Amino acid sequence: MSTEQHGAPPRVGCVVDADGRITFDLPPDPAEGRQQVLLRLRPKKGQPEQTLHLLDPEPADDGYRRAVLGPRTVLAEGRWDVYLLDGPGSERQRLRPGPRDTRALVDGHLRDRQSPLAVRIPYATKDGYLAVRAWLRPAHAEAHTVDLTDRSMTVGARLHGASLQEGAVVRLRPRGGSGTEHTVEPRPADDGRGLSFTVDYAELAAGTGAASGVWDVFVQPAAQASAIRVGRLLDDVADRKEVFVYPGVTVGGVVMSPYYTVDNDLSVKAEKSG
Amino acid sequence: MKISFLLHNAYGIGGTITTTFNLAQALAERHDVEIVSVLRHREHPNFTLDPRVRLRPLVDLRQEKEHPLHLRPAKVFPRAEYRYQQYSELTDQRIGECLATIDADVVIGTRPGLNVHLALQAPAHVGRIGQEHLTLDNHPPRLRNTLRRAYRRLDVITTVTEADAAAYRRKMTLPGVRVEALPNSVPDPVLPAADSTAKVIVAAGRLVPVKRYDLLISAFAAVAAEHPDWQLRIYGKGEEHDRLRRLVDELGLWNNVFLMGAAAPMEAEWVKGSIGAAASNFEPFGMTIVEAMRCGLPVVSTDCPYGPGEIIDDGVDGRLVPVGDRDALGAALLELVRDDERRRRMGRKALQNARRFAPGPVLEQAERLLGEAVSVRTAGRPAAQERARARRALVSQGFAARDAAFTAASGALRIVRKGQR
Repeated sequence: MSTEQHGAPPRVGCVVDADGRITFDLPPDPAEGRQQVLLRLRPKKGQPEQTLHLLDPEPADDGYRRAVLGPRTVLAEGRWDVYLLDGPGSERQRLRPGPRDTRALVDGHLRDRQSPLAVRIPYATKDGYLAVRAWLRPAHAEAHTVDLTDRSMTVGARLHGASLQEGAVVRLRPRGGSGTEHTVEPRPADDGRGLSFTVDYAELAAGTGAASGVWDVFVQPAAQASAIRVGRLLDDVADRKEVFVYPGVTVGGVVMSPYYTVDNDLSVKAEKSG
Repeated sequence: MKISFLLHNAYGIGGTITTTFNLAQALAERHDVEIVSVLRHREHPNFTLDPRVRLRPLVDLRQEKEHPLHLRPAKVFPRAEYRYQQYSELTDQRIGECLATIDADVVIGTRPGLNVHLALQAPAHVGRIGQEHLTLDNHPPRLRNTLRRAYRRLDVITTVTEADAAAYRRKMTLPGVRVEALPNSVPDPVLPAADSTAKVIVAAGRLVPVKRYDLLISAFAAVAAEHPDWQLRIYGKGEEHDRLRRLVDELGLWNNVFLMGAAAPMEAEWVKGSIGAAASNFEPFGMTIVEAMRCGLPVVSTDCPYGPGEIIDDGVDGRLVPVGDRDALGAALLELVRDDERRRRMGRKALQNARRFAPGPVLEQAERLLGEAVSVRTAGRPAAQERARARRALVSQGFAARDAAFTAASGALRIVRKGQR
């Protein structure tokens, strides 16, 4: 029964603009202007951290201080944790999230992007800290609609940093090496960016030996081009897997469902029904 | 003044927690304020609490879940209260000790069971305010009976709507107890208001049947059919989640309707929308409606008892539609989706009109009520004005008899009532 000091780690709000610039609003600085904001690419379990970005806050007109992560700073793909330093080399304090104004991202899919495609979304981690989700890709295929029938799925998508050429193909690559790749032909829109494609579930399932499996969806925009992952990155939703959910369809005793991966990429899974 | 709030669990998510934090923060400008949280189950509260407000948990479930006293049923906390199962001899004891030794001029209870503790256990010199965030008419008769006896020992009862205050005055004999509607306040938003251009409808609340998100999703089908570029985002979690997901699948709305999970605070999510929506069958206040309006969203809501009709000015800053009427709800949403100018105008009006729920005006009223409770205690309680209330007492005795009969009957039938919250 003690009185809790509930003010402990500071909360920091931020604003994102349409170009991806993130402005962090900082609390008063007890270190008198020596504070820095540190972004750290979260390393894989057991790996040392390697990539850091330091931001120097600047005083704003209204007396607050702001640290700006400019759109040109390249963030490697992954999850970036955000810390406050009282001065160069001093101990880190992990920041908790204040209000995150990400409204400029909501209709981000309407703006055509150049290569490379860089996306950042500030979010609150499950354990309640501020972090930034980043994607960095040479090109991107943004899925928008997924229409389902009792035997197929049709995906509407738009290319960013690439355009559809002669010989374009959609590839569904089996994950983990088992099964065979399935290809379908895209239907291009007039501008060479928009496309849609239909996957027949029975044909896809026939390509797998076992009655279960996962296929990752790619668009290869030209005969000799590298394949571009299909996903949904261009809005304000940092973790899509549990939010953008599609129903499964049973075809020949196998339930086929499109879904978004933990990285917001589009895949299709097959599972034995029952 | 030294002011203590008595709250069920400051570490959860919900309207009572939000509004208690808001009022505590506003009072902390001029007073010494603490929140006593009966339960605690995590390190930090979900909502940010003003650092000037002290937070004091009584039972920490992370360590004391298996405490022998916590495994025994509560005796002071009333059995008919919705949250009875979460209370125990341990909570009885801790709340009792807390009140016996409390260093406050006035204590504010925030739910019926805690108001009963306050009525029975607060020292004679401490002012007693019972807040009702639910409604009298919706309480089970057995709970109403318990409250009818206990609440006479309070100084002030606040409801969140005029309609509920009227019910208390009409149906309870509470001589010398002031009953007044004190609406929930919503702090001034820190983000710029929504600009009405986003093609997003936003709703928020626990995913429970009474909120009728099923009705909202079905009504939104009409919007998606005509305007496939519009989204409906529903924030919150709860028992209805899987059923709502199946409904989205059945209606083929997975490209437009999203169950977003819980978000606290909601402000950054409201401003991503341009219309707020509420489809409840019952809403003691309607906190999310005020939140949305304070962010500049016109809100389309069912005109359910009690809150929405006291918050929304139909056709001016939002729309009120009949309860349970899918087509009317869909039509009202479509009306705002189709008409950018009307949506913008109503959003601006919502922003203006919802200022009456800003902490300022609500704080003034709360301070007056707190002052009254304290001065009643300092002066000794005034004798009950029995004669003046004789007629009203007769009426409310009728209600008491009815509740007693209900209680006897339902006790015999062992009807298990579930609280609609």
